[in-house]
Amino acid sequence: MMRDLALKELLYKMADDQLVLGHRNSEWTGLGPLLEEDIAFSSMAQDKLGHSLALYTILHQLGEPEPDKVAFTRNNNQFHNCILTELPNAEYDFSLIRHFLFDTAEALRFELLKNSSFEPLAQVARKVRGELRYHTLHANTWIKQLGVATQESISRLQRSLDFTIPYALGIFEESPNEPDLIQSGIFAGEQELKSQWQMKVELIISQTNLHLPDWKLQAPIMGGRSGKHSEHLQPLLDEMSEVLKIDPTAEW
Amino acid sequence: MTSLDPRVIRLPEIGEFGKIEPKAALDQFGTFEVFVQPAEGKSFQHEGIVHASNLELAFVLAKETFTRRFTCFSLCVVDTREVFASPFTEGNQNAYDLIPEIFGQDGPKVNYEIYHLLKRGKQHIHAGSIQATSPEEAMSIAKSQLNKGKVIFNIWAIRSSGIRFTSVEENDLWFTLPEKKFRDAAEYKGGDKLKVFLENQRNST
Repeated sequence: MMRDLALKELLYKMADDQLVLGHRNSEWTGLGPLLEEDIAFSSMAQDKLGHSLALYTILHQLGEPEPDKVAFTRNNNQFHNCILTELPNAEYDFSLIRHFLFDTAEALRFELLKNSSFEPLAQVARKVRGELRYHTLHANTWIKQLGVATQESISRLQRSLDFTIPYALGIFEESPNEPDLIQSGIFAGEQELKSQWQMKVELIISQTNLHLPDWKLQAPIMGGRSGKHSEHLQPLLDEMSEVLKIDPTAEW
Repeated sequence: MTSLDPRVIRLPEIGEFGKIEPKAALDQFGTFEVFVQPAEGKSFQHEGIVHASNLELAFVLAKETFTRRFTCFSLCVVDTREVFASPFTEGNQNAYDLIPEIFGQDGPKVNYEIYHLLKRGKQHIHAGSIQATSPEEAMSIAKSQLNKGKVIFNIWAIRSSGIRFTSVEENDLWFTLPEKKFRDAAEYKGGDKLKVFLENQRNST
């Protein structure tokens, strides 16, 4: 029973991250900086929705409501995504930095889960590896290129990086029953993930003219995992569930 | 630097009295040719172009622009300026008939990828690799080695070292979630739903 609770916590936070960030990133559709990038970014946003669907489907098999119900009918305090994923898009530099910081963590998380003792999750982790390889290739390429390109690109990325790091550290907020996850071999834990993530982020940023702030001086922005969100999440959820609220019987 | 907003910093400068000049060329990225290998062992075929600032970014953008809905084995991109094209032909005339024979050019030989257009309006398909000192010589050698009976309407020669191929560790880029019906417009059955909706409306009036 304890194991199931811990497992659900993990699945919900992963699925909610993917759903909320997938929705945010899809808001760039039609507005991207160039046609090909618009296509790529929108397509990756769709991948994220696909990942959330795969995870909500596992939750449904564990007795939770249907994926659509879970996605469209909960209030913001029932969502377990980190606050990073719900922040508005602002400028493309911020979206790129968020994409880089989040997807680096997500790729490493799924890498750790490939050998999970919970086989359905291990299967999903193995299936999405191509998509995550692409997402990180895309993010790393942009960061490495814009991170050395012009005064404007470097200073804009740096400003976004400084702003985003405390939110990104909120990805690794631990859930109450996390020790059960680690003990039962389901997941290596947020601390392990965080240290791998820091090394990977350092590796990419060291190839640019950007600078990482001192990790020790950063105060992570937490709360999302326990349903304490910023004012930005509820409007996103309202928009996402607009059709369902107008006509609950609509088929679409 | 006073502003970071491109709408501010890219405003045109204030001009001088009486200065009339041709409009500047558009500030746009160059193009890169995209080739896809549909399955292991199959030939690469031309899929189209992407705009990008350089070869590496072209590879990244080409992957999602051309292979997001179907999987393939591998992908490669090359700067459009690296592609040398023969004259086009039609009917029964083979493009190789318009390629002069060149003998014994001096200089180091490098590898060229030769592509053939076998049907007008279709894609160029990889036909083989040729060692030569120039694209012209590569086509001349290909004329005797790769010209195998079928009418070829156009030939491309591309220096192999200019091509960004998919590396071995990148091959799993196309290992993805197989259930992607939500990406397919037809799966939403919009037409059927519209028909039912209209039917219901007609019946209710």
